[in-house]
Amino acid sequence: MEKYDVAIIGGGSAGLAALKRLSTLGKQAVLFEAGEKIGSKNISGGILYSKKPKKGKTHNVEDIYENFLTDKPYERRITKYVLHATSKDKVFSIDLTAAHEYEANFGCSVLMNKLNQWFLQQAQEAAEKQGGGIVSGVHVKDIRWEAGQTIVQTNELDEVAVKAIIAADGVNSEIAYMTGARQKFSPSQLYQGVKVVVKLPEGIMNERFSMGEDEGAAHLFAGDVTLDHIGGGFLYTNRDTLSVGAVYHLDSLLETPVEPYELVNALLRNPMVSDLIRDEVPVRGEIDKNLAKEEQMRIRFAVTKMIKTWTEMREAYHSKSERDRLVREGKYASPEEMEAQLSSIRDQMTTKYGMKFETDYVEAEYSAKLVPDGKRCRMERPYFKNILFSGDAAGRGIFVGPRIEGLNVGIDDAVRAADAVARALDKDNFDESYLGQYYSQSVGESPYTHDLKSIDKDYLKIFLDAAKDVPKDIINSKYGMVVKMMSSKTLRSFAVGFANILGYEKILPVIETVETYVKVPTELAERLGKSVSASYTPTIPSIAQRVAKLKFNDDSIPHIRVLKPTSEFMKKMTILCPTRCYLMEKNGVMIQHEGCVECGTCAEETEWSHPRGEKGINYQFG
Amino acid sequence: MDAINVAVIVKLEPDFSEGNVSYNPDGTLNRAETKNILGPHSAIAVNAAFYAKVKHGARISIGTMGPPVAESMLQYSQLISDADELYLYSDRIFAGADTLATAEVLKSGILKMQGKMDIVFSGHRASDGETGQTGPQTAWKLGMTFLGNVIDYEIDPESRTIRAKRLVRLQGIYDVVEEVEAPLPVFIAIDPSYKPKFNTVSQRLAYEKYQKEARHRAQDFKQYFKLFNAAQIEADPKLIGISGSPTIVYKVERIPKGKATRQAEIIDGSDQEQIRKIVAKMRQSLSTMVIK
Ligand SMILES: Cc1cc2nc3c(=O)[nH]c(=O)nc-3n(C[C@H](O)[C@H](O)[C@H](O)COP(=O)(O)OP(=O)(O)OC[C@H]3O[C@@H](n4cnc5c(N)ncnc54)[C@H](O)[C@@H]3O)c2cc1C
Ligand code: SF4
Repeated sequence: MEKYDVAIIGGGSAGLAALKRLSTLGKQAVLFEAGEKIGSKNISGGILYSKKPKKGKTHNVEDIYENFLTDKPYERRITKYVLHATSKDKVFSIDLTAAHEYEANFGCSVLMNKLNQWFLQQAQEAAEKQGGGIVSGVHVKDIRWEAGQTIVQTNELDEVAVKAIIAADGVNSEIAYMTGARQKFSPSQLYQGVKVVVKLPEGIMNERFSMGEDEGAAHLFAGDVTLDHIGGGFLYTNRDTLSVGAVYHLDSLLETPVEPYELVNALLRNPMVSDLIRDEVPVRGEIDKNLAKEEQMRIRFAVTKMIKTWTEMREAYHSKSERDRLVREGKYASPEEMEAQLSSIRDQMTTKYGMKFETDYVEAEYSAKLVPDGKRCRMERPYFKNILFSGDAAGRGIFVGPRIEGLNVGIDDAVRAADAVARALDKDNFDESYLGQYYSQSVGESPYTHDLKSIDKDYLKIFLDAAKDVPKDIINSKYGMVVKMMSSKTLRSFAVGFANILGYEKILPVIETVETYVKVPTELAERLGKSVSASYTPTIPSIAQRVAKLKFNDDSIPHIRVLKPTSEFMKKMTILCPTRCYLMEKNGVMIQHEGCVECGTCAEETEWSHPRGEKGINYQFG
Repeated sequence: MDAINVAVIVKLEPDFSEGNVSYNPDGTLNRAETKNILGPHSAIAVNAAFYAKVKHGARISIGTMGPPVAESMLQYSQLISDADELYLYSDRIFAGADTLATAEVLKSGILKMQGKMDIVFSGHRASDGETGQTGPQTAWKLGMTFLGNVIDYEIDPESRTIRAKRLVRLQGIYDVVEEVEAPLPVFIAIDPSYKPKFNTVSQRLAYEKYQKEARHRAQDFKQYFKLFNAAQIEADPKLIGISGSPTIVYKVERIPKGKATRQAEIIDGSDQEQIRKIVAKMRQSLSTMVIK
């Protein structure tokens, strides 16, 4: 049997950080990733933060990857952060840029496919030097301890023996359930996140959001766009795409089920969002049915080709770097020449092929995934024997009000796990008392863990200052006392102190309610909001169209088995599965696993595992 | 233990994939407009060679006979195999070669490659009007053992032997897999169904390493590239080009549609009746069939 020092399971941002760190420390590690390619199974919102807490130190992305700030594998630095309360066509906005910048070096928008591919290059190079590396398309299916060895079993390769394992296999960690390190997370500990990536040429985006090349905007939404659920929507600017999504408490969705895509659709239909995502879209003209079949076919092909050429050229034209590159490489003499060609293609499209240009929006990818609510579900002991759990697998993510952070937390964990494993390798001691407990303590000392347990009164102040225009009577009914205390300089310290003694767990039911996410924002928008209108109604694709656009490599062996086809929970899956994999039949629900995006929503009452290596969903953006 | 040397002979072919083919108004292929690529069967041969690299660190030399534009195909072949050497045999006098004359050029070319070859791989056949003869003919000219339709192989570098699985298609009856063992060197025509498998972590890591190296190399492929003309490979002028080609292609015809000889009969009635009638029909026709 082949032997390696360390196995890392899962090649998301957490696993890759662990590999990079271990390799930098001169240790040999092999990372197993189920997806066909690194990045193909990861999705996020997402804004990746680098933090500088007042107390303690976080391991930031640029500390682990020295070239991060020069290579810029991210989309844009987020320089504007706004929360919008919505009610029909009314929007009331609160600028939260100060809260976004609080204790932060930076926060940048990212697309996981591209970002993790970049992480891969960096980590792989370092790992190869130590005789390790990355194997993708390999699904770890079991771990066993035998004759003093830890054996990793996969669906695809021969077994290997290792000394320690870092499990960074995400929110639906099979390693965690399989070893019994923790239970599956319950709906009250989870959010469901659903996202669409929308295309918008770079230059047009810069103009529309009034931002420069390395500036970016984040918009959060609460109010009627939530369709009465606890959670909210977001819209982040990437380089030439927008990420528009919704993150909702799973138990809130279970209470009053609504199709996840309807939550995104509600956001897309909000006039403010509609207007931000709008673009110019070519529409095919009717082809004369009297023409010969071959001629009709030829026209259809020609039109497809023209749309492609026009779209690609327009994207390049609206991107300064692409434009410069094409001129530099001599493809075009000048940007003006490019513009002239672009409009000539456009003319041909309208005159020769009877096409029209309409205002609409262009969706590129639909995705969904569960998100662990670290306040409620982080593993108190993120280890089992010689396995350390990191990132989503350990249930660590900070989701507090407008704070949405899982990526940075996972990276910080992973570095701590790598450091603990390196220390154990040096002493050749992988006992729980030497490895696991040391890691657990290190994670406990992370400023992020602190943030998961208690309210930071300085952060709260920034938040309250930003919201100072909110009329007190709107919130008075339910939170009168609390708000009064929190808003008062003298009482805030005392109130926060008291709240922290109670602990997040106790006060969350008061904070995370329909009141805060729906009623208050809706009323705010109604009373103080400005009327917004959109010049068009977006043509929203059906869920079938969205799924049809995704890339899958179907696994002939189902990876999900329904255990209780008639349970209330499973019945709700016919609504809550983001890609409608569940159908109601005579004898209860039935799953049709083609189209499953492996979000994990149905995991609670099913026998659930990821598909075998290379199989299943293959995201292009993430 | 000496390193394993493998060669691959590949062919530039029109890209028949959807949307890339150009046709003349009369429905024939427009060669000038159609893009040329590494033929799909050749690509499988290249993959087979890459397997030897991943498993045994074999040195790969890839050769082709073709026009100067075939250079970019060799670059692509390097990208998928991390080839160590690329050879293009290009000369006006090669023009008009049939499979035999092509085999002569390839033989001469292979003999000019660096090192003595342990295995030479070729594709099953080309997809643009070839008959699958170039491979065997080249093997014959090289005096190498020929293994055709190989779907899997393992090299034993110690004993310098190869075990190969061959798919033998017994026309219209069934297929059998034949396992053969042969001492190196051998010439392998790889079957289209060949798919390399990498079953261990170390192989997968080597795979990644070579893939990455290949990307670097292919960017700078001229460094690995050699162009040879007829004189340089010392090919016998009598045996190459038109003069070395005994084949005469008389005419290439489109396959005419066959006249249907079957007769359809529509059976109606209730489901049960229909089934009964069909069974009766089948009985009837079976009884007239001669079963040996
Ligand atoms: C809609 C949405 C919005 C979000 N917004 C933000 C945001 O703005 N900012 C932020 O910081 N965070 C955000 N998050 C959270 C963040 O995306 C996650 O915390 C983060 O991606 C988790 O990274 P990870 O490496 O722990 O897990 P993952 O990215 O899930 O990676 C786990 C990997 O393990 C692999 N794997 C699983 N099982 C196996 C196995 N048995 N064998 C081999 N491989 C396996 C999977 O294929 C996967 O690639 C958001 C999440 C969602 C869904
Ligand atoms: S079947 Fe389950 S895991 Fe798959 S997409 Fe639906 S809810 Fe998510």
